[in-house]
Amino acid sequence: MSIFWLRVAVGLYGVGLAHAILVALRRRSPIFTLALGAFYVGVVLHMVSLVEMTVALGRLPLDNFYESISACAFLIAVIFLFVYRRYQFTGLTVFLFPLVFVMALVGATEIPVKSWSSADVRDAWLLIHVLLVLSGYAALLLAAVASVFYLLEERRLKRKARKAGLFGKLPPLGTLDRIITQSIGMAFTLITLAVVVGSVWAFIESGRDWISEPKIAISLITWGFYLVMIYLRTSAGWRGRKAALLVLTVVFCSALTWIAHIGLRPLLVQ
Amino acid sequence: MKLLLTGVNHKTAPVEVRERLSFNPTSLPAALEELKRCQGVLEAMILSTCNRVEITAAVEDSNEAEKEIVRFLTRTGGIDAESIAPYLYQYRDQEVIRHLFRVASSLDSMVIGEPQILGQLKSAYSTAKQCGAVAGALETILTRAFAVAKRVRTETAIGQSAVSVSYVAVELAKQIFGRLDDKTVLLVGAGEMSELAARHLRRAGVRRIFVTNRTHDRAVQLAKAFDGEVVPYDRFREELPRADIVITSSGAPHYILTRQDVRKVIAARRNRPVFLIDIAVPRNIEPAVNELDNVFLYDIDDLQQVVDENLKARMQEAEEAEAIVEEEVKRMISRLRVQEVKPTIVSLQQRLEAVRMAEFERLGGKLASLTPAQREAVEALTRGIINKIAHGPITELRRKAAEPDGLQAIEVIRRAFRLDE
Repeated sequence: MSIFWLRVAVGLYGVGLAHAILVALRRRSPIFTLALGAFYVGVVLHMVSLVEMTVALGRLPLDNFYESISACAFLIAVIFLFVYRRYQFTGLTVFLFPLVFVMALVGATEIPVKSWSSADVRDAWLLIHVLLVLSGYAALLLAAVASVFYLLEERRLKRKARKAGLFGKLPPLGTLDRIITQSIGMAFTLITLAVVVGSVWAFIESGRDWISEPKIAISLITWGFYLVMIYLRTSAGWRGRKAALLVLTVVFCSALTWIAHIGLRPLLVQ
Repeated sequence: MKLLLTGVNHKTAPVEVRERLSFNPTSLPAALEELKRCQGVLEAMILSTCNRVEITAAVEDSNEAEKEIVRFLTRTGGIDAESIAPYLYQYRDQEVIRHLFRVASSLDSMVIGEPQILGQLKSAYSTAKQCGAVAGALETILTRAFAVAKRVRTETAIGQSAVSVSYVAVELAKQIFGRLDDKTVLLVGAGEMSELAARHLRRAGVRRIFVTNRTHDRAVQLAKAFDGEVVPYDRFREELPRADIVITSSGAPHYILTRQDVRKVIAARRNRPVFLIDIAVPRNIEPAVNELDNVFLYDIDDLQQVVDENLKARMQEAEEAEAIVEEEVKRMISRLRVQEVKPTIVSLQQRLEAVRMAEFERLGGKLASLTPAQREAVEALTRGIINKIAHGPITELRRKAAEPDGLQAIEVIRRAFRLDE
């Protein structure tokens, strides 16, 4: 029964994720109160699940990776609620809601479920994952190009040089900044959904061992970068040159993990 | 038909002369009527702006008409011929076309590439058209001049960059923010230049303008001028975080905004960019402010430098524009020549037809016995002969007309067929 309460808690944390996505895409979210309420209930159910498990096992459920990450997510959630009650630090939700959601989601995959009802469902699920990832990368690439243009144009305006550079007349900084904000918001949304779909797929596909696959671990870490990026951009007020550099760093990192993953594996095997 | 252009402009005449010769829009129709009545004037247009007064005319005889037009100018301007003579320039035929094309393309303007002159020329044309003063060759040339101006605008970058300090400020603001309709401007100090920049920014769409000045009354006066709001001078720092564009021109002998101040402003703005325009001398804003992220500081020299570079770029574009004008002048001339040759062609055809008719009349008695069908056949035969004969010269006339030495060939043909008798 404990796993059931945990899964319900994950669903409630999902509202928090939706709130973070809205902030990333539109800079404001109309569902913050709802998300916070759901988060409170989620934390309570999460605790119920942990207590039940402790009672059933006769010890604290910290035995394996799933149990530890679930417990860790719970602690983060509790600490956040304390911080929130004291300082009303809403900006932090953009970072913590998705983080707690994904950690609890991973924790909720301890007990394998029945395999796929049909091969078609399995393939369609995977196809959706791949499409989400690719669209996310496309949006991220757009953000990267806009960031490069931003840096060039910003430098030209700071140095007061009239001559347009290699790319001719670039769009105004304000426009580029909007493109960057919108495309990383979009990229974050798509990649987050891809991570959720992908994790669930991998969990159903390979049962308990899905998390030990390096590919998945790396993807989750890369997603962590995006989360940091979105947080710095939307809540910590990173703008302009710093934000453009941040986008480029994140894109560079994810390109590296991707290359390490796809390109270098055959070399490593040799 | 000959073309003639007489006038003064900002290069040849001081404003005292230009203002006396100028025509205001209400007096223009009457002046055109008077001009039309001048001996030998076929078509005429008057272009009168603050920088130039020019009369363009299509005339029968250049020398006579030129004197007539100068007399007209002295009469309407109330100046004697001798005192305006040194300021007048006069162009004929091909030069007139070139000059009109250059004026329309803003190559003859005080600020090369400025867009107003084309509009002024268009309105001069439409006034002349309404008065019935242009309807022919001059009209063809003028409509072509508008097309040439458009071609110059699209094919060169002559009018693209700003060439005044206040416009440069607006251009930079647009390049930083993209859109200005949700932006706020703060004017610190009330100088003429900052007022001008604020006016341009308002026209470019900025939402709010705050004005602050040591002398409160001056701030109120300035705020009224472009619908702004007054901020007390001792409180303007509190307003700084709300301003996206700050224009300083106060007479303070020291920096009124230091790097430390602006750093705080940027933090309060959560890193939203700010554009600082310092047109005060001595400067009001510490130059090191420009090193801060999301802060763009331009002082008067920076702006002037952009103006100079833009002007230099315009000069380069102007060379390209001159080449376009030259090409268009050549094209226009050959077009006019082809039109000019039309009367010759018509008189050649009439001449041959007259010869044919005369021969018919001479042989009238002998042909009387012919049946209508036979008569018809003879008519067709003779008409065919003259058409065949005319074909060669007409083709040659059309071909030669477009060439530089075409007039001679036309002359030879006119003489050979005795067209002038």
